[in-house]
Amino acid sequence: MSTETEFHIHHDAPEVVGRRERLGVRLLIVADGAFVFGMIFSYFYLRNLDANGGWLPKGAHYLSAASGWMTVVPLVVAAFAHRMGERQRESFKALSIVTLVALLLGAYYQWHQLAHMPFIVKDTGIFEGGYASMWLLIAGANFFHFLVGSFIALGLVLRARRASIDPILETWRLRTAGSWFTWIAISGIACALTTTFIR
Amino acid sequence: MTTLEHQVGSHPIPNPQKSLITKLHMGTGLVIGAIFAFGTYYWLRSGQDMTVARNVNKVLLISMFMWSFGFMLGIGAFIGPFRWLIGKDLTAEEQLFLAGEGQGVSRYFRYCTDHKVVGIQYLVGVMAMLGVGGTLAMMIRTNLISPGSKFVTPVIYNSLVGLHGITMIVAMIVVSTGPFGNFILPIMIGARDMAFPRLNALSWWVLFTAIPVLCSAWFLGGIPTGWTAYAPLSVQAGPGMNAFVATIIIFAISTAVAGANITATVVTMRAKGMKWNRVPIFVIGATMSVALAIPAFPTFMVSMIMTALDRTAGTTYFDANFGGSGWLYAHLFWIMGHPEVYVILLPGVAILMEVAPVFVRKPLFSYTAAILGFAGIAGLSVLVWAHHMYMSGWLPMLNGPFMVTTEMISVPTGLIFLVILGTLWRGKPWMKLPMLSVYAFLWNMLIGGVTGVYLSDVPADNYLHGSMYVTAHFHYTLMGAALTGAIAGLVYWFPKMTGRMLNERAGYISFWFTQIGFQILFLGMFIAGAEGQPRRVADYAAVYRNSDRISTMGAYLIGTGMITLLWAVVHSWRKGAIAPMNPWGAKTLEWTVPFPVPLENFDEAPIITSDPYGYGRSEK
Repeated sequence: MSTETEFHIHHDAPEVVGRRERLGVRLLIVADGAFVFGMIFSYFYLRNLDANGGWLPKGAHYLSAASGWMTVVPLVVAAFAHRMGERQRESFKALSIVTLVALLLGAYYQWHQLAHMPFIVKDTGIFEGGYASMWLLIAGANFFHFLVGSFIALGLVLRARRASIDPILETWRLRTAGSWFTWIAISGIACALTTTFIR
Repeated sequence: MTTLEHQVGSHPIPNPQKSLITKLHMGTGLVIGAIFAFGTYYWLRSGQDMTVARNVNKVLLISMFMWSFGFMLGIGAFIGPFRWLIGKDLTAEEQLFLAGEGQGVSRYFRYCTDHKVVGIQYLVGVMAMLGVGGTLAMMIRTNLISPGSKFVTPVIYNSLVGLHGITMIVAMIVVSTGPFGNFILPIMIGARDMAFPRLNALSWWVLFTAIPVLCSAWFLGGIPTGWTAYAPLSVQAGPGMNAFVATIIIFAISTAVAGANITATVVTMRAKGMKWNRVPIFVIGATMSVALAIPAFPTFMVSMIMTALDRTAGTTYFDANFGGSGWLYAHLFWIMGHPEVYVILLPGVAILMEVAPVFVRKPLFSYTAAILGFAGIAGLSVLVWAHHMYMSGWLPMLNGPFMVTTEMISVPTGLIFLVILGTLWRGKPWMKLPMLSVYAFLWNMLIGGVTGVYLSDVPADNYLHGSMYVTAHFHYTLMGAALTGAIAGLVYWFPKMTGRMLNERAGYISFWFTQIGFQILFLGMFIAGAEGQPRRVADYAAVYRNSDRISTMGAYLIGTGMITLLWAVVHSWRKGAIAPMNPWGAKTLEWTVPFPVPLENFDEAPIITSDPYGYGRSEK
């Protein structure tokens, strides 16, 4: 391989770093997407197999569809507020707080659901069949999304208050964070659609 | 370092010695990890009835994850994210410290972001894992030296098989992309570092935390399920199974991070002029491998989280009495499991494709065909998983389609063969050690590939599945091809990584011992398998005595070869002949930088004006 030389460039431009970071996050989203795919695949699989009628045994019941969509609302609000903030930079500080609050509320609500899930058979401690087990996994993954989203949103809120941060790189980081917020909203919707219509 | 420049508006700490980063290292990680693990263990068990298996599993699993978390906290992995969170990005001085500037050997024991340090860390870690896995293999073969052998009990034998399998699989997944993907790949593409240096360190140290977790299985009753950990056996297995589950979850995180990092590096950080048709073939192979791993491993993670929940929380994913299914586990496992074979294979083959043109002084034959071969293998590998389930009774009507997709993989694999054969055709090979590995690969992969066609065939698999034939087949592909490629890479890039030449005589002795031992071990195993000897069974009928005895002798030869290689590496690293900058006369970029490679690799950013395999052509 033959080469020529040029002036030593130590420093990549913020745009270059920003694009790179966005690609990295999108690749991690692909990994997370495969995880979500694995969950939804499992949900479909166990539902359709319904081994020994154990998907929803006698006496067990589905959680209301509304409870699933209630966790989607904060995800969508957070993603929407963040996108708005990206476009209206003068309002970003306020909108980033909206994003953070929505995600924290969502995390709390999801935790509350997990702590009070009505699926465990009292005497044995075993879950009431396939549906109950899948619900736990999906709710757990949603909770993880809320936690990671809240961490990022908190960072953006705190960083937005520091005027000294590189504005160009920060713009790219906002877009990168937007990719994550959009993804967790899509993931939440996909899970809610699954638990609503596949019963 | 590509991120040193982003200091606008940061709040520098004038003296990095005052930063917490400078006080953290592997020792603090070990101490804090141990405190977290044992603290969690004793705290949780105090409130649990530890006679209940589910409670034991819960306490152990949480303790294992807390070990990993505590270690990462103690080594300083979370300082960067925390500083980002509060808006006080790391200063240039801190980043230089993290990059190991001026720290000598101690940087290998820190959360060092220099890709070359991470590459060496991977190399040492992988060699240790292969050493452990190889020792377990010797114990397995020793037990099989004669029927009725009492070298180990059947229970311990099962654990040996499980631990050998998972240790080797983890080691083989990172054996090429870990050391060479980190040390060599960025230099090959003309980059100053990886795209995300801190994630790079994270991927290694997260993997490191998985090693003690896996080793803890020994003290918790072992892994009796084999590396596939099929449910519901894995759900019912003893406490050692928790170590397997935790290892896989931790490893999947490491793999996803490493995969995103290497892919982003290759896509965004290639030198000026390095178009896609000028990218060295090792870079292509390694990138396809890690890019394939990014979507593949999370499904394995799903299955492991389900296993963990079944073992600890009372869920029923794999319990058919309560709406679960063992088939679900098999699907999730093999959706990852078959691409994983190619995650292992592609970089090893790519190393050999990188080596062949250098040692025959000819251009790589049909670079485009090589890429098509890689892409075809990667693409088809996600469509073949159910061939592992032909005999499970799951949807027999789909056996045919999966047989077709599996057999189609032989087409792109054939392309890879053609590329290497075309490169060698009428060449005058320089018969150095890496070149010997190319020939060994052709032989081994031919046997591994052809026997794979039989196994992909439903009627033949009906007879051969679960036999030693399968064991021999996948060892021919994974060890005979992928590990041979990785060893070729070690010999080839040893001068660049250590500044010294590998002891050639010891290398030749190792090569011949290993390759001859390998044929003795596994060719005989095909016959034993075809005659019906089952795999993963501690004892066997007397009719297989001769075959197994010969196989065990082969294993000892491999062991001798590997110990010789280990000696050669250690001895050469310390006292080997000083290597010239480009001992093989190769044309890729890593040979244009001196040893030790400078922190940012290149004093002047290279501009690429030709392809990397222009041997025999006049330079522009």
